[in-house]
Amino acid sequence: MTLRESIVDALVEVRVNRARTVLQTLGVILGVASLVAVQGMSDAGRRQGLKFFSEFGGLKKILVHNKPLKERVQTAAMLDSHGLDWGDVEALRREIPMATQVDPIAEDEQTIRTPTYQKLREITGATPDYQAVYKFFPARGRFLIDDDLAQMSRVVVLGDSAARLYFGNEDPLGKTLYIGDAGFRVVGVLRRKEFYFNEGDRNALEWMNRLTIIPITALYSRFTGDPDKKVSFINVMVDKVENNKKAVAAINKVLARRHKGVPDFEVIDRKERMKQQQQEGQIFDLIFLATGILSLLVGGIVIMNIMMASLRERIREVGVRKAIGARGLDVALQFLVESVLVTAIGGLVGLPIGILFANGITALIGQPAVITPQMAMVSVIASVVVGLFFGLYPAIKAARLNPVEALRYE
Amino acid sequence: MLPASGSDPVIRLVDVTKTYDSGDTAVHALRGVNLEIGAGESIAIIGPSGSGKSTLMHILGCLDVPTSGDYDLAGTPVASLSSRALAKVRNEKIGFVFQAYNLLPKASLLRNVELPMLYGGVGRVERKERAREALRKVGLLERAAHLPSQLSGGQRQRVAIARALVNNPAIVLADEPTGNLDTQTGKDILALFDELGKQGHTIILVTHDPVVAERASRIVRIVDGQIASDGASVRAAAEAVVPAGVVAVDAGPVAFAH
Repeated sequence: MTLRESIVDALVEVRVNRARTVLQTLGVILGVASLVAVQGMSDAGRRQGLKFFSEFGGLKKILVHNKPLKERVQTAAMLDSHGLDWGDVEALRREIPMATQVDPIAEDEQTIRTPTYQKLREITGATPDYQAVYKFFPARGRFLIDDDLAQMSRVVVLGDSAARLYFGNEDPLGKTLYIGDAGFRVVGVLRRKEFYFNEGDRNALEWMNRLTIIPITALYSRFTGDPDKKVSFINVMVDKVENNKKAVAAINKVLARRHKGVPDFEVIDRKERMKQQQQEGQIFDLIFLATGILSLLVGGIVIMNIMMASLRERIREVGVRKAIGARGLDVALQFLVESVLVTAIGGLVGLPIGILFANGITALIGQPAVITPQMAMVSVIASVVVGLFFGLYPAIKAARLNPVEALRYE
Repeated sequence: MLPASGSDPVIRLVDVTKTYDSGDTAVHALRGVNLEIGAGESIAIIGPSGSGKSTLMHILGCLDVPTSGDYDLAGTPVASLSSRALAKVRNEKIGFVFQAYNLLPKASLLRNVELPMLYGGVGRVERKERAREALRKVGLLERAAHLPSQLSGGQRQRVAIARALVNNPAIVLADEPTGNLDTQTGKDILALFDELGKQGHTIILVTHDPVVAERASRIVRIVDGQIASDGASVRAAAEAVVPAGVVAVDAGPVAFAH
């Protein structure tokens, strides 16, 4: 008998036993729904993470930062080390071919004063590249320009929250902000940065809104007076994500040479970090996954049970089919098709429920809704596998029935 | 398509035995059965319960294989075939008619009649056509879409007969075909078998009812796993005496032994 005709028979069986079919599908519906939901939610999480990172550099960013030495007893070279400096920045610019930008940032703490405000705050020394790396563009005025850098200009660009903090409701553009003893002219206020992982969470990018940014050269000349021009960290933008690993190795090599082997720096690949984060997230996925698989197992066992019971009712039918010329394989196929049909119905019903479930939860925690082709794939694969697996035993049982005994069965 | 009447035997059993192991003791259901049935014969196998009559029917129907001995069915030695090959033989060469009709309850009459062709791999169009034709022959074409439960017993048995014939089998094997029917309906069904016999079908009736057995031209009596007697039925003998009979020649030489 062809597959098509087996499906015809199975459809009849399912239609005649509607109540039984509903019972059989319940477990599969729940199982598929939760697997689809897991798929959807983990996908939502992944997208969310990607979006967050893309707000300040994306996956192509490699962070080089200072790492304090932990050794109690230090060698002469270690004692001599002072971390990352301007020389490192220039070396990286020269020697890392896949780097599109090498963007150093230096930080310092200074007292900030306006007529209405006075407090010790962190200030950031940056280059014009900063706005591209962090996608941090002015809402009004302008960002730092090359000229500012060359002239060590006393200009400052403020994050939105910082501007409010220093000047209240007044327009800060063109006003003077005192950093330490030096007056800096406010040339730009930056667009607000916002990112909420979940609704009701704190703004994960608020730290950017609180920035006070001056030319890195001005920071050196006015405040640190540091001949080495030390930097706090360096963002290296790579031309394409595939080159991240190579770039990390190259950066390590250049810096190891320049730092005479002293490990006072660390190179962090954004892509690797993202992967790690996802793996951490996967633990939660696994819990949901286990729930889904458990429901499918229970659903499958229910199906197998009911199939076994229905086989007992249909022993004679199997005998008749065999007398008429059905081979064991035909009978097995018929029962398998029946169980897969039942689980496929379960999968079909489970899919929209799973989507609802996923979107309900993501809506609850304020994440965007997701519907992906993978959801449909999960439901199809899960339901067919369950149908095949749990239909196999009844199918083999049926196929092996002795026709004489089956025909005699009352 | 039907085998030519009277020539080579369609069935030949040689020294067929069947032994069942039931615990410590072996049950000898058949003890050396030799039987030839010619194409186009109509034969009744009778015997009390426990005689081995059912076992013989199962072996004839290729539902079971002999413990020893040979069985040729329409030229094919089937005694040692695999279960897979036996299924094919059942599908192509045997048409079963059961006491309890054994129609599939959830399938329409048409689908029930299609079933042997479904397992025989007959294409959809030809299958439907042949199933309709078979239903027409038993007078139930207009009810093709009905379920078996909507029919009377006699009608169900007609459908079963249509199903048995639809693949043009070498033999039709009927096990107590009138056992569940009232006398009149039973007579109608037997008349249908007579009709089939006249059309050249080889028909084997398994029964314990002497009246039913008399409808055949030849009666084989099984007792204790052996053939106790094998000869023309009274009707066939009478028809042989009065040469106006149609089937007397088919009854074979044993007809004159009585």
